[in-house]
Amino acid sequence: MAITLYLSNDTSARAAGADRLAAAWADVPDIHVVRTSSRGVFFLEPLVERDGPHGRLLWPRAKPDDLPRIRDGAGGISLAEVPFLAQQQRAVFAHFGTAQPLSLEEYRANGGWRGWERATNLPSEAIITELKTSGLRGRGGAAFPVWHKWDIARRASADQKYVVANADEGDAGTYCDRMIMEGEPFRLIEGMLICAKAVGADHGYVYCRWEYPAAAATMQAAIAEVERAGLLTIDKRPFRLEVFRGAGSYVCGEETALLSSLEGGRGMVKVRPPYPAMSGLHGKPTVVSNVLTFGTVVEIMARGADWHAALGTAGSKGLIVLQLGGRIRQPGLVEIPFGATLAEVLERFGGGMADGSRFKAVQVGGPLGSLFPESQLLIPLCFDTFNEAGAVLGHGGIVVFDDQTDMVELARHYMTFTADESCGKCTPCRIGSVRARELLERIEGGSGTAGDLDLLADLGDTMKATSLCAHGGRAPYPVLSAIEHFGDEFRRRLPAKGPNGTMDR
Amino acid sequence: MTTGETLALERVLEPHRPRPGEQANILRTLLAVQQALGHVPPNAIGPVADALKVPEAHVAGVLSYYPDLHTAPRGRQIVRVCLGEACVANRSLHLLADLQRVLGIGLGETTKDGQVTLERVYCMGNCGVGPTVMVDETIYGRASAADVQKTLVKPNGS
Repeated sequence: MAITLYLSNDTSARAAGADRLAAAWADVPDIHVVRTSSRGVFFLEPLVERDGPHGRLLWPRAKPDDLPRIRDGAGGISLAEVPFLAQQQRAVFAHFGTAQPLSLEEYRANGGWRGWERATNLPSEAIITELKTSGLRGRGGAAFPVWHKWDIARRASADQKYVVANADEGDAGTYCDRMIMEGEPFRLIEGMLICAKAVGADHGYVYCRWEYPAAAATMQAAIAEVERAGLLTIDKRPFRLEVFRGAGSYVCGEETALLSSLEGGRGMVKVRPPYPAMSGLHGKPTVVSNVLTFGTVVEIMARGADWHAALGTAGSKGLIVLQLGGRIRQPGLVEIPFGATLAEVLERFGGGMADGSRFKAVQVGGPLGSLFPESQLLIPLCFDTFNEAGAVLGHGGIVVFDDQTDMVELARHYMTFTADESCGKCTPCRIGSVRARELLERIEGGSGTAGDLDLLADLGDTMKATSLCAHGGRAPYPVLSAIEHFGDEFRRRLPAKGPNGTMDR
Repeated sequence: MTTGETLALERVLEPHRPRPGEQANILRTLLAVQQALGHVPPNAIGPVADALKVPEAHVAGVLSYYPDLHTAPRGRQIVRVCLGEACVANRSLHLLADLQRVLGIGLGETTKDGQVTLERVYCMGNCGVGPTVMVDETIYGRASAADVQKTLVKPNGS
């Protein structure tokens, strides 16, 4: 009898060698390999699984010649023996790692379409009320109340409305949207259908970044599958859904820039108001929500708003999806209620530092997020505490840096990124990021002056206060927090004498 | 452009011509042109603008905006090193420097034999198994400069 082995088809599993295993075992007569979504336990990839007498057995970091062992059932560990998974409280990602991404039957068997079926029987206002009761805030980074954005679009009267999934997951260190699109693409479609029904839209787009080729292909295949099954309809009218590919611009994750790009133009930010919910794509009311937001709406509609409202903290309801990366032993996806401290998350899930590394700093919230030193890890992970600390949770990226990290080099890298990716619409970001990068290059090269650090602080304040969007407005935070906590490294790089031989400090 | 390119361009542009009442989509059109020709030659701007019934400046504006639209041919193999923060934490800046040294080219440059172009990318969402390098369409995790070299076709065909 053939033995079925499960192997993730996720980009990161493949990048770690899953395809090599699948290829090596493709012609083995009694082995049948099934490609699934990913559990997000990336430190164990490539991970091979098979059904055992008491549930799944796992063979982490498998190699092609492990097959005899796996065939004999020797050495496999059970799911319960992976504390990284056992300590999570998963909802959106509950079935990740078990199902085939493009199997509609398996999606339904795992509870798919329950949210949509409930939504179809509700008036649009009731869907909005449900979201309001749930307390869901947008998961892309801005944390705006989802019900409010959707209600503005619902109330707008127009001959045409749009629903757009922001799949431009550009924050470095984040990958949960990619995992959803590659692993449970029907979930995104279901969330978008619920939104379209709530606001009265009949046309949707998934704006997917260029860097996610597998996600875009899976979404396209999933849309075709749903259409074939006759499920892409709202109140018996067709819902048109398309995938649109970006072309490598980070700022296109900002909703107005995203819509400019979707219209085919330069992906530049626009002054708001008007907000896209009132006047968005082609001037029509448009909801732009993040992939994980749509994915969470599905769960709220299926389980009820009270389920969501009972989780998390007063201002941050529900579950937070964290994506651990950098110099830790256990990088991967973590879904837990809001409110745990950064220290707890790093300890319980991070598993300590990678071999030979010592902790230096952790960045939360993507390339525009602040750096935290060891002394500040007791901060709870929720919107309000981060807001008070002048930091952001962003899209849930957590990147750990070790003691070999050169903070001056890192700060210069941040500003290089900001300058490279500035859309150029507003002066503080367009010019400020270049000047800040130049200052940091000068310090890194050993020819800075003591005044340069003051100048950076001053320039940072200007960018924060006057930039049009978060790209320029948040860019100074990682740099200034690096200087705040690791100032000695910057000062040590300043020459004792000024360029003309004069003492300037 | 060669005659072949001009003909290919005509074929690519056909489905992107806006129908009455429809708005042209410049980005989608340019991505299709790049897909067909490998890059968007600057003298394609005129024909694209004509087909879409938009000013040439708009086409040039979109073409110059996006990092992934290229106006010149690149190497036969494209090596992209991820410089997202999680990969930087895992020393991808050093990996990039190693590759620059090995290939003898700077960032954004192509080797003299036209074989390899070296680029950077800001995050492939592959942070769990970084550092990440993409060679053509294949994404490699936990990558080293030596791993990357193994994926490259040697100029002498070996």
